[in-house]
Amino acid sequence: MSRRRRVLAHASVVLLVGCGSTHLHVPGALSPVPRPGTEAVLQAGFARVDITPPPGVGLAGNGPEGGEARGYRLRLYARVLVLADGGGNRLALVVADLGLSSALLHRRVAALTARTDGIGVDRLVIAVTHTHAGPGHFFEAAGYNDQGSSVAGFDPVMVDSLTARIARAVHAAVADLRPARVAWGSRAIWGQTRIRSLPAMLRNIPLPSAPADAPGLPPEYQLVDPELVMLRVDQRDPTSGVFRPAGAFSIFAMHGTGNAPSNDLLDPDIQGIVERRLERHIDGDLNRVSSGFVPRAVYLFANGAEGDVSPAWPPQSRCNVPTLAPLPALNGPFTRTLWEWRAPTATHLGACRHAAREAIDVIGKNVGDGAVALFDALGPALTDRLELGRSFATLFLRDSARALGICSEPALGLSTLVGADDAHTRIDGWRLFGLFDVGLEQGSPNPDVPGCQGHKRQLLDAAFRGLANRLFISGNLPSYAQVMVLRVGNRVIGAVPGEVTTTAGRRMREQMLVSAREAGLPVTAALILGHANGYMEYVTTAEEYTAQYYEGGSTIYGPGEAAMFTRELGRLAASVSRGDSLPATAAPPLDLDVGHQRQILSRTSSADVPTSRIERVWCSAGADTLYARLQLGHAGDWPVTTGDIAAHARVEVVVNDAPRTVVSWDDDPALEMHLRSRRGGLAWWELRWSGATGGTYRVRIPGVTESDPVGCSLS
Amino acid sequence: MRYSWLYLTGLTVVAPGAAAQLSARTDVSVAGRYVWHGISRAAGLVAQPSLAFGLRVQRLSLESGAVLHYELDAASSGELSETGAGGRHLGEQDVWGAASFVLGPTRLHAGVVRYAFRGDAIVGGIGPASNTTEVFASVSTTSRYLNPSLEAWWDVKRVRGAFLRASLDLPVLGWPFPPYAFVFVQTELGMNIGQGPNPARPGELANFAKRGITHFGLGLGTEVRAGRLGTLAFGARSQLNVDAAAKADGPVRTRDFVVWLWSGVTIVLGGNERRQ
Repeated sequence: MSRRRRVLAHASVVLLVGCGSTHLHVPGALSPVPRPGTEAVLQAGFARVDITPPPGVGLAGNGPEGGEARGYRLRLYARVLVLADGGGNRLALVVADLGLSSALLHRRVAALTARTDGIGVDRLVIAVTHTHAGPGHFFEAAGYNDQGSSVAGFDPVMVDSLTARIARAVHAAVADLRPARVAWGSRAIWGQTRIRSLPAMLRNIPLPSAPADAPGLPPEYQLVDPELVMLRVDQRDPTSGVFRPAGAFSIFAMHGTGNAPSNDLLDPDIQGIVERRLERHIDGDLNRVSSGFVPRAVYLFANGAEGDVSPAWPPQSRCNVPTLAPLPALNGPFTRTLWEWRAPTATHLGACRHAAREAIDVIGKNVGDGAVALFDALGPALTDRLELGRSFATLFLRDSARALGICSEPALGLSTLVGADDAHTRIDGWRLFGLFDVGLEQGSPNPDVPGCQGHKRQLLDAAFRGLANRLFISGNLPSYAQVMVLRVGNRVIGAVPGEVTTTAGRRMREQMLVSAREAGLPVTAALILGHANGYMEYVTTAEEYTAQYYEGGSTIYGPGEAAMFTRELGRLAASVSRGDSLPATAAPPLDLDVGHQRQILSRTSSADVPTSRIERVWCSAGADTLYARLQLGHAGDWPVTTGDIAAHARVEVVVNDAPRTVVSWDDDPALEMHLRSRRGGLAWWELRWSGATGGTYRVRIPGVTESDPVGCSLS
Repeated sequence: MRYSWLYLTGLTVVAPGAAAQLSARTDVSVAGRYVWHGISRAAGLVAQPSLAFGLRVQRLSLESGAVLHYELDAASSGELSETGAGGRHLGEQDVWGAASFVLGPTRLHAGVVRYAFRGDAIVGGIGPASNTTEVFASVSTTSRYLNPSLEAWWDVKRVRGAFLRASLDLPVLGWPFPPYAFVFVQTELGMNIGQGPNPARPGELANFAKRGITHFGLGLGTEVRAGRLGTLAFGARSQLNVDAAAKADGPVRTRDFVVWLWSGVTIVLGGNERRQ
């Protein structure tokens, strides 16, 4: 081979590797047969871990409108509850402040916890809150890594970091197992959520109706499932022997879309406010302990059948999207026109982000108050009796499509590309030359589409039928679904790897309840836990699918999906078992195409950390916002580098009094941390605290330094 | 050329530093034909490097630049060429300066272009005798689908007359994920209202044969953003020639309809113009 050919061949290989997708073979580690523990009573253990990544990651969930994280508002956590009965049966529930769940993450964590704690894929649920301000790059399918946000790519370091942190938290929760008392209950919370695709919902037969006790609200508010279902957990205090409130697990159907799509800060969204509201209540009001920077109580606030459920954000909280326009710069007589996606003005973005933050606080407080009231009401119902069981299956969606009753090739509808009501994308409503409808809008079905994906308008299907989907889209979508049914006392919980609509969820719950009862299980209610153990987008009913709203366009395996999950959940509810080990066929290896591998997170840990310092502190002209410029560690550092929780805040705002009363820290909705520069490889942050109410403040880096006092006198 | 650099230096000096934004742009285009105001000036492969600088203060921008037109094919006798038969070199060099004012979606432009030809008229090229200067003014506006522009040109030196150009750029599709890509359609119409033969002065040069519509243009292009600064583009242009001058495709050849391909690389530095 000549030198030139060798160089060409090498270049070709490099190009192919650089452009190619990453393929992973991921085995499923099942739990071993449980060994009865020393405690013959119900036990519970809690843990949490900080999973806030550094800036630079993509904020997954809003597709092209999902920006690059420039900092954070509230910390992101993964919270863990491990339950164990006297027979040694354990269930680990993880709820992480992330956008989408991932079968890859679930299996990687289970591979570790199966060895250390006997918790394999069949006893581990990793659900996410669905915040649209969490990082991407760890998903099981190429499409979600490469198009989940404007920062494309799969990063194995993100997978490894999350895996290590969550596995460590599960292990910590097992170590925290103590005798416990629990109580299930529910409470309706009205007015905080609404159906975002009402015309699709109203296609269901029979027509959904509001419960008789629904308050007088518009139909989209009345037709939601308003129930916040909670498992309150009290643990026995090892020193006093008294059972004390310790935390809770709950399910409530609500998208994590309080933030405006143009938000550029990591944030757990409304769910983060709700979690902290109950955690602080348990610590401060019930246990009378000072919880410090991180609450002691742990509240897992999981999502339910939220596929068509938005939080009640106001219209002014949705920012305009970039528009396609000629670039005005340097467009001289001889230069050709350049095009750009022109962003809305900074003034507009600032206003709508502010409106979104206010909505998050209000909705978070209202739902949080409901959670607090429910938690308190469950006190008298606490019991130490709780039967635990589980069943688990892995569905091969493409290979077993016929048997499952779904389409063999996944497809995205054009309504998916335009985004949901919470976050329309920049191509929403686009018409060719402004005249010709090309289907880029919600609720634009094509009843003439033949085949399994009937009604779904696909990319260029008018000219090429399903060819464009086959060539460019289908291969990037998930091929597997991990489905699980848990029995936790008198409830069965169906864990679904996707976003189930309200009506589809109701049908699944009804089927699970019937099946479980027929199998002799003494259950009183069935629940749907969405966003669990993987992600395959939305699950609508067959009727809703025909409307081709965003959710129907995103029901990727066609109109039979809801019926498939209903059947599978019913089957699993009837086969819940305990004290055994499942056969290997329950969790066969997955072959995943995770997309293009990119280095998004730093590969090196910072051994030489410079001393943090505060450069400057000042108040805004109106004196309601305090600013600080500070240098904190290296640019690529995670706020908590060890995979644990922080002992104290990175930065605090204190009153200029003798005890230095803390009024805010970097886990406060009113305080934002913006990375301003990576000068010299260091992280130069700007702190913005909008809680100033007059007075004099200092900014403090705990244990390191504090600023001079700055007066913020309200004019 | 010398004056344009002085002009640029002046711009930099007079600009108030705090509010001013400097930007620069360089293009290299390669096309199968060089057409200016509907008139084909070279029918072979042409490379056109250009450089431009801009300074924006609030709504006002001052811009200036230069462009060179190289013929990459050696034209034979009878072929359309600026350099002339046997040439394969610089055919034309132009400098321009303009001021623009932005008013919402509308942009007003006014400027001047100096054309300098480097061909050899003896072998069929365009020589320095054809050098001239034009001033122009334009108004353009942007909307979601339509981006119309109307330009008025006055040749103030050689032909002494006006030419109007109306264009309409229509985005067809934009890829919303990085690397951003765009497909667009360009249409244009030329109208001569004073650059034709002057019966009062028959010895004066003319650009067009008669008053009225000179040509219709239609093009389809694709642009792909490469990183934060660069853009790759390619496309095809077609033109229906109406005026005899637009039809000319050499000393003895005419074409009613021409089609050519083009491609280009652009780098834009500075300013905050490329926000997405």
